[in-house]
This record gives sequence, structure tokens and C-alpha cells, in this order.
Amino acid sequence: MSDYTIIGKRMPRVDSRAKVMGKARFTADLKLPGMLVGKIKRSPYAHARILNIDTSKAEALPGVKAVVTGKDTEGVKWGVFSYTRDQQFIQMEKARYIGDEVAGVAAVDEETALEALDLIEVEYEELPAVFESMEAMASQTEPIHEDFPNNINVHVNIETGEVDENFKRAHYVREDTFTAPEDSYFMAEPYAVVAKFDYDGCLEVWCPNGGPHMKSKPLSNAFKIPLHQVKIRKIAIGGAFGGRSEICPADYICALLAKKSDKPVKIEFTREENSIATRQGHAMITTHKTGVDKEGRVLARETTCYLDGGAYVSTGPIAVSVPFLSMEQVYRMESVRYNGYSLYTNKPIRGMIRTHGRCFAAGLDTQLDMIAEHLGIDPVEMRLRNVRKPGEYTNTKSLVGSCAMDETIHKAVVTSGFKDKWGKLPPFHGIGMGTNAVQVGFPMGIRGGSQSFIKFNEDGEATVMSGVVDNGQGNDNMLVQIAAEELGLLPEDIHLVSADTETTSSDPGSYSQVSTFVGGQAVQIAAKNCKQKLFEVAAKVLKVKADTLVAKNRLIFVKDTPEKSISIKKVVRISLTNFNSVNAEGGYWPKVDMKREWVSNPYGQMCEAFSFGTTIVEVKVDPETGQVEVLNATACQDVGKALNPLVLEGQFEGSIAMGGQGGMLTEYHEWKDGRCLNPTMLDYKVPLACDMPTIKNIIVESIEPLGPYGAKEAGMSIAMSAAQGYAAAVSNAIGVYMDSFPLTPDKILAAIKEKKSRPQNKES
Amino acid sequence: MEKIKITLTINDKLREVNVAPNDTLLEVLREKFDLTGSKESCGEGVCGSCTIQMDGKPVRSCLTLALEADGCTIKTVEGLANGDQLSDLQESFINHGAVQCGFCTPGMLISADALLQNNPKPDEKTVRKALAGNICRCTGYAKIVDAVCHAGSPDNQCPDCKTGQ
Amino acid sequence: MRLPRFDYLGPDTLDAALELLATHKEEAKILAGGTDLVVRMKKGLLKPKVLISLKALNELSYIKEDGKEIKIGARTPLADIIASDLIQTQANALAQACEKVGAITLQHYRGTIGGNILQDNRCFHYNQSSFHRSGRQPCHKDGGKICYARDEADRCNSTCQSDGATALMALGAKLTLASKGSARTVNLEDFYTSDGIMPFAMESHELLKEITIPLTGAKSAYHRLAYRSAIDYPVVCAGVLLKPSDTKKEEIDDVRIVVGAMSRSPLFLAQASSSLKGKKLSDIDAFKTAADTAMNSASAFAVHNVGATLAYRCEMVAQMVFRALKEAAQAADR
Repeated sequence: MSDYTIIGKRMPRVDSRAKVMGKARFTADLKLPGMLVGKIKRSPYAHARILNIDTSKAEALPGVKAVVTGKDTEGVKWGVFSYTRDQQFIQMEKARYIGDEVAGVAAVDEETALEALDLIEVEYEELPAVFESMEAMASQTEPIHEDFPNNINVHVNIETGEVDENFKRAHYVREDTFTAPEDSYFMAEPYAVVAKFDYDGCLEVWCPNGGPHMKSKPLSNAFKIPLHQVKIRKIAIGGAFGGRSEICPADYICALLAKKSDKPVKIEFTREENSIATRQGHAMITTHKTGVDKEGRVLARETTCYLDGGAYVSTGPIAVSVPFLSMEQVYRMESVRYNGYSLYTNKPIRGMIRTHGRCFAAGLDTQLDMIAEHLGIDPVEMRLRNVRKPGEYTNTKSLVGSCAMDETIHKAVVTSGFKDKWGKLPPFHGIGMGTNAVQVGFPMGIRGGSQSFIKFNEDGEATVMSGVVDNGQGNDNMLVQIAAEELGLLPEDIHLVSADTETTSSDPGSYSQVSTFVGGQAVQIAAKNCKQKLFEVAAKVLKVKADTLVAKNRLIFVKDTPEKSISIKKVVRISLTNFNSVNAEGGYWPKVDMKREWVSNPYGQMCEAFSFGTTIVEVKVDPETGQVEVLNATACQDVGKALNPLVLEGQFEGSIAMGGQGGMLTEYHEWKDGRCLNPTMLDYKVPLACDMPTIKNIIVESIEPLGPYGAKEAGMSIAMSAAQGYAAAVSNAIGVYMDSFPLTPDKILAAIKEKKSRPQNKES
Repeated sequence: MEKIKITLTINDKLREVNVAPNDTLLEVLREKFDLTGSKESCGEGVCGSCTIQMDGKPVRSCLTLALEADGCTIKTVEGLANGDQLSDLQESFINHGAVQCGFCTPGMLISADALLQNNPKPDEKTVRKALAGNICRCTGYAKIVDAVCHAGSPDNQCPDCKTGQ
Repeated sequence: MRLPRFDYLGPDTLDAALELLATHKEEAKILAGGTDLVVRMKKGLLKPKVLISLKALNELSYIKEDGKEIKIGARTPLADIIASDLIQTQANALAQACEKVGAITLQHYRGTIGGNILQDNRCFHYNQSSFHRSGRQPCHKDGGKICYARDEADRCNSTCQSDGATALMALGAKLTLASKGSARTVNLEDFYTSDGIMPFAMESHELLKEITIPLTGAKSAYHRLAYRSAIDYPVVCAGVLLKPSDTKKEEIDDVRIVVGAMSRSPLFLAQASSSLKGKKLSDIDAFKTAADTAMNSASAFAVHNVGATLAYRCEMVAQMVFRALKEAAQAADR
């Protein structure tokens, strides 16, 4: 298996040279002839009826080239699913959160555009607003969307096994509630979009995206133009973390302004707009009730989760389901009942985030530790008794193929010295672990597969076309590595044309941990097909059978007699001389259960592979200030196969920062009447270089038979288990199980004091 | 608004440009000179993506009026390489996998370059402190810190120093 | 983020700057490093018609001493103060405070000591974009009559989060304010108005020229708490100055305890300070009592407006004061 030339090597990324030279172009860096500056007028009210919009003064301002409002939109509504279309790109009747789009302008420069925004007069009638899940459900006032009484937007119900019976026969049952407010993406690049209409009615768009094909379809629908006329172009992207998977109203507004002004238009978001008017993580309230047998094995679990869903549904049905999925994938449960609700509130729109459901997941592990303590089992054993094993089915009937969950626990335990430290550390010094599993993709209907084309150029180099987008995680390099490995070329011989809807086929996008598994695999298959064509030509020349040939280092040679060889370039030229093209296509569609649906039928094969991660964290808490010093973190994941350890480690380390250090210690949004008080990088505390602990990375390879070279995913398992590990470590340090995340110093200090004041100071 | 002529030495080239008082140095570099390597991420001096060197010192160009830079020597990320020849620091970033999305990279490089000019072999703690004003959302900083520590002196103990060679 | 329009003036000498200030008065703002001013202008919190830049006034950048006082020019970069042996040995609290401001990359050039003292008071309801502040009544500091941090408050409760000012007040610093043809010196303690809207007792034609710190042989320390280890304002901070007795070694002669980030100005806490007079340098219990007294005094002023919960910030006053006292006492005992 280790016979690879390029796969598995610590290969520096192909895109990094342009990036270190400052030459990589991001959307905001684009400059087109005649380009205008676009700006968006947003509602300053959380819930308000729009009575009138007067744009005449703005239109009269010299330098203003176009003004658009909801009237220009024909009332088209957007939703991820056909049954969730609840959002107009520009509101006509009601604004539902502070930041909701009500108008757009394009002008010759930023100053003029900003002045024009101020000149747009919007008359509102303020309506009562709701800002929390429970408040939204109890509200007697006008619902945020008229078809949804009590603002209950999405309800996912899953039930398998004899839950009530199993609770009755359980040896020990406990119920705990865990909460966390909103967290945020804070991608380095604020959102930006450039749009341009051609003379023939084609729309070209550049913007950060989690999948270009997920942008083109809604735009084609909204403008009522054929799909081929919407050309989403490739551009460098400054991070996504799940927050850029959908169409953004700004995309539409920018295109509409471009159409109306007949000029290219660029909209650049401020940091505040990126925080409040793209997507945020959900605030959640999760109650886990768990019943175990004497050995600590989970017999029954009932979980109820309320997600503060914000003003529009967005990925609602998926968002409500995914925390449950992580749970059922990593832990076995004999029976389970899940009720997940997403509530409309007058707050910004929510999306899927890398650490989606931090209170759900960290709560789950916290409760396991509580039960383990009650039963006198250590956290390692507790997990080993409950975690997923290969060949099993999840509660919702997904077969789990490769799974090295146990191995990640064992390796992380050894490397971190967990067994020597657990229960033996000095006061306020703690260690904890988290385990998690992530689904590699999910059913996406006709957009679930990816296709790739490869063409050889007469100089012996190859152009690879793929719909896979690189958000910054290194997908471009992944595609190049795979193509170079299969074709026997060097990485510099591979030329990537990707993430462009005009030239590439549909692809599921890079937001469900599926880029390598599906998109990478499509390239691998295309490359294999292409190589086969080369082999057939080479076989004739070398007078051997095609199946005896291998390709490496720009050469095709006979496996057992390597001196019998011919250069790939020569093979290409011979082929062309003989009237044969040297190109091929390949596609990959994961065999999921197409009948599985998030709400109506949440059962069946979810995806073809699951990744498993364990994170162990060691902390010191200052008992006088509640501040946490993280000493080290050990990240261990079953990634299937490490295509590039250098890139993988970067994913692990970034995951520790986002899921653990930020997600569990400092990151949360604060509000006042629906106004976000910390939309900026000053006030929202993303971790810094000097905040981070030492990180030890351990890669476990279970070699997934269905994955490319055995690979699964590497972007999420550690982020999730880091959140759990951080929570466990702090709880262990202070001897109190924490139930409100993130674990800010005030909460930690209050917990320490509360414990001290307890009449019986029980050991923990 | 009246424009005022200023002189800047940008990446070793003497440049003249007319600017308005409310033009920031970042806007002028990006819009007048097409030096789009320096980025605006927060716009208020927190994230460090717009960091450039002004007379050798790292400065937030989003908070610096262009007029304040009149007569100064400016170094941007585009000035780190000598033509196609990357600096050791740039090579080190590539080989250590210190670049992910790349949006913070220019500011990160400029801050690190300023550190290395005064301290060619900094220890890890010094590097972390020197980069405390540059926010990265992708990497968790580990590989960036490694890249800076090893930029001046490739260390055989570090697997990534030899990566790609 | 685009800056609003203004005129830029770059005087070559202090006298020229004062002349300009006398002409433009409240329409003008002084630009030193710009790390506070430019951000406020970007958010539309401030719309000066004229900016008078101190860029050419190298005469305002110095650290010197004359045997009785340390004198620091207002435009001195924080980095120079952090690196100064004189400050580290004679006024360590200030070096410690400056080191916490922003990050190294902000301390070199853009961050100046004068700018740090004169940074405007902050509040997370006020330091927001124009968009954020629209759609609701303006707060006191924004020209309205509401306080979002404290219900029914009849005045602005913004918070002074200057690290430098807290340390300097503990050190008993004075400010020299220059204006055309004259200058005056004011104790830092008397420099604040207790009005969150206009926190400084300073006329619009005046310019902060110099900071002086008395050389007393006392030891000082500064501690602060923030949620992040850099680029963060303190949510609570404390500076102390501790003078051992000249006659009785190991005994405290005088103490100054100042708490910052809790109110409209740094708070000199007289009761807590005087409670330590005559106490032993090693009297940890006395430090604890003084810290609790400081907490009780300072808590009355605080509102929830700068991140972290109010209860937590109040509680941490005692902790920061105690730590600073302990450190200063240890330094004095050496």
C-alpha cells in the first residue's frame, strides 16, 4: 500500500507560492474595467414591517448608477430545500433581523455609495421581536413567518429501539441540560462578491463559496436564465468553515446591480456585515437523558435540542440533525429518541459551523464522565465500552465500514500520558478527553456526485478539470496530488481548472467533509481511465501487455523490467499521431440511500464513510481568576489514509484552535435586543498565537475501502472532539462538571466557589 | 476633495502619488499601486492582515493615513521576494505548511520578517509574542511558528525543513 | 472601512501645532498614532473637520530624568517605554502596563503613551458602527439621553480602559498640557471629569505635551485581566505604588492603589491605600484586606459594558489589587 510516489508524502501545497508572494487574488482584489462599488441597505430593526421605500434621493445623487429594492426581485424566495423557501434576497414586506437586506446601491466609488445608502428612506412599523428559542416558542405575538405558529420552524424526530422500556431496566439514569450561545466563523476574508453581465446575458460571479454549483443554480432560478449562463469563477477563498455553502443575498444583489447599471459591481462586506449578515453558529439548549447498565453501556438515551435558528431557515433540517448524527456515529446506544427543534428568532441567519453543536457534543461527553464517575469507571474505559466498532450500524441504519475509533483512543491516551495523569494531577490541574465521529458527506440528490475531466497536452502535461473548490484547506493540492500519483506525473505537470461552473461538472461542494472522498475520488477515477489510454498505446510500443505497465516520474515502464520504458510525453505524441485523443473522464457518486430525508425519513445509509477522532487536553486553572492555561493538546484521528500529513496536521491544529481554544474558552456572541454586541475581531475573541498550547498530532489510518487510497476526512472530527476534550479537562481541573459553554473565567470561578460552599465537600 | 502629493519608497522603488487626507495607506497601496497582497480583514487594527513595514517597523496600514507615510520607506509582502527568488522566510512558510487560506499570510510574513531582521534565531515564545497581533483562523499557528523559528536556520530535527527538497 | 472626510495639517513645530489648535479648537483633533482616533472616525463616532498630525514633532518623543522626575514626551512610542531601563527600574508599573497594550506590532510606532492616556472611554453599546447605533435611540455619549449599560442612568457610564493611565495614576503622574502661549500641569487624578461623554478635563485648544512621574524610590506593579493575551482591552486592571519606610525597614510608608477599567476614569482608592500605612511589607493579610476594600469601593462605579460579567469584574478587582500589592512589596523587599 505504501507504494505511492506522491500520496502520503509531506508535500508543500501548490497554492502556497502565490500566497506567500501576495499574488493570490481574492475577490476583493479584483478590478474590472468600469467596475462600480455596491453597498447594501440593511434593516436596523429586528422585526419590522416595511411600509415604504423611497429611493428617489439616492437615485438623484451624482455618481449613483443603480438602486435596487425588493420590487426588482419578482419576489423570488430562496431555500436550501424545496420545502424551506422562506427568504427573499431583498425584503419587500418585513425585515426579520438587524441586518436584513432592504435595498442595494451601486455607485462610482465607496463614498458615493455610502452616501446613497443614507439617502434611501425606509419607513418601518416596528413589530414585537423575539430573541431566544424559548421566548420564540412561547410568543403570542405575530410569528416571524406567518406559516409557522409559535415560530417552530423545523422538527426532526428520530426514534429507534425500546427507549422507555430500556430506561426502566437501566441500572442508572441521569438527565442533564447543556447550553451554549452562538459562535461564529470569523473567516479571515470578509465576504465579497463581484458580478458582471455580458452582452449575451451571461452572468459572471466571483465570490468565496463552499461549492460554485451551489451558487449557480439559485442565481439561475432568481434571474430566470439557463444554468449555463451563470458562470461562477474560481477565486482564492479566505476560509469558510461551513459558513459559505449557500447563496448569499449579496450575490444576488450584486448581480442585480450589475444588470441594472450594465457595469461590473463589487460588494465588499465590513467585518460587522460578515458577522451579522452571512451566517453564525446556532445557540443551543440540549437535554440528554441517559440510562446505562452496570457496566456503563448506554441502553437508552433521550435527547431534546432547541436550536435558535435565526430569521430564516437556511440549512435548518441539516443543522437540527447533525449534532444527533455525530452522537449516533461515535457512540453506540441500544435505543434512542431524538427531538430536535429549530426556532425562528429575530436574530441573524444561522449555518453549519465546524463545531456545530458544541453544547450538544461537549454535554454528551460531560454526562458520560459523570456516569463513569458514579459507576467508578475511568473515562477511557467508559468510552471504550461505548464507542463505535467497525461493521456496526448506526441507530438510523447507516453501515459503518472502516472505524479505528478504539485505536485513536489508545494512541491519544499513550501519547498524552492520560493514565499516569488521570486522578493524580495537583489541584486545579486537569486532563480530559473527547471522542467524536463525523459523516463524510450526506445525501444530496443529483448534486451528490462529482465528475472530473482530464486532458493531456502535447507537451506531456495534463489539465485536470474538477468542480471541487478550495476554501483554504488545501483541496487544490489534494486534487493535484491524486492526479499526479495516478498519471505518473510530477505535481508541477498538473494544471488544475477547478471550481468554475462553466468548465467543470457538478460537485457537492466542500462543506460536508466530502471533497476528498467524492471530488478527489472522481479525479482518481478520471486519471485511472486516462492512464489506461496511455498504457494501451505504450503497450504497443513496448510490445508488452498493458496490465504489466506502471507510470511514475513522467515515465511508463514495465513493472518487473523498469528499464523497458517510454516517456509519457512520447506516448501522448504517438497517440495523437495515431488519431487518438488522450483524455478521459471519471465520476464518483457515493452509494447513499436516496430515500433518506432529513425530516420525513431520517433513516438509511447516510454516507459511505465516517471519520473518528479523539482529543485529550491538559489544563491548569487559576483558582483565583478562573482563567485557563492550556498546557497541551493531543489530537488523534482516524482519517482513513493521510494523503498529505503536512496538510492534515494543519487541519488538526486549526481544529484545536477553533473547536477547543476558541470554541470552548472564549468564543460567543453577546446581544442587546437582537443587536450583536461583538461583531468585530476586537470584541469576538478568536485565539492568538500566544494563546495556543503545544499540539501533538497523531494520524491513524484505517484505510477506508471505499475512499480514494483509503482516505476519509480531516476537517471536523478533531474540531468537535477538541471541544469535548477542553470541556472535560476544565471540569476535571476544578472538580465540577460544567454545563454552560464556552467556559469563560467567570463561570469557572463561580463553579469553584459554589463547590467550596457546598456543605459536604465531596471528592470528585 | 483636494489631493496632496506624497512620496513613498515602496519595495525599493520611489513612487509619487496624489492622495486625499482620508485615504488610508492600505487603500492607496491596494488601489493606486495594485499591491493587493496587503488585506483588509477587520479594518480597525486588530487582525494584522494589513500589516506592512514602514521604515522597517510593522505597522497597521488600515489605521495609517497615507499622508502620515509621506517620505517613508514601505515594504509590503510583494517586496519580500527578490524577483522570483523567494526569501528564506517565504520558503519556510511553504515548506512548513504554514499557509492555508492565505488571507492572513501577507501580514503574518511582514510581522515575522520584521522580527527576524532584529532577531534572526528567535525562540518559540518570542515568535508567538511577535505574531500576537496577527490573527489566523485556519492554522492554529503551530506551523506558522515553526516556519518562523526555522526560517533562518533549517533544523534537521524538524521534518518540514526538508519537505519539498 | 472608509474614513469620513477631513483636512490634514502637519505642523513642523510644537508652537505651530498649538497655533493650529488655537485656530480650529473643537473642530480639530490631534493625530498621534491613530490606533484609537482612526477607529472611532471609521465608526462615525467622531467627525473632526481637521486632523493635526504630530508626525513631525519628534520633540515630543523622549524619556529623560532630572533627579526628581521622569519626563516622558507625549508622542513617545509604547515600545520605547517598555524598553527603557529607567522606566523598568523606577516606574515598572508603567512598563508592565504598556507591554499589555495591543500587541508588539502596535507598540512600535502607532501606539504612543499620550494616545494611550487620551484614548476615549469605551462601552460595548457605544463603540459600534453607525449601522449598529441606528434603529435605536442614541445613548448619552452619542448625543442622546439613554444609557444601554445601566437602566435609567441619567448619565454616561462609559469606561476608561487605558492601561497606561491606570499605572500612571498609581505612580502619581502629572500631565503637562500646552496651549498657545501657555502651559499648565495637572495631577492625573484631577484630569478626569467623571463625565463619560467628555472624560478629560482638557480644553479643545490644549495638547498633552508631557507626562512626569516623581522619582520616589517606591516600587510599583501593574496587573490586568483580559479574555485574550494580546490585542485586548483590560476588563479590570490595577496599578499600585508602594513606598517602604525610610526609617523602619520592612514597613510600609505609603501606598497608592488605583483600579482601572471599572469606571469613567481610573479610580484612586484612598481608603484601601491608607489602610496599608505602617503595615509590614510581608503582611499578606493586610494586602488581602486592602484588596477587598478596593473591590468594595470600585464595584459601586462599575456597569456591564466592556465584556465579561459585571460580578466577575468586580470580584477580580480584589485579585488584581492583591497581586499588584504582593509584587510591589516583593520588589521593595529586595
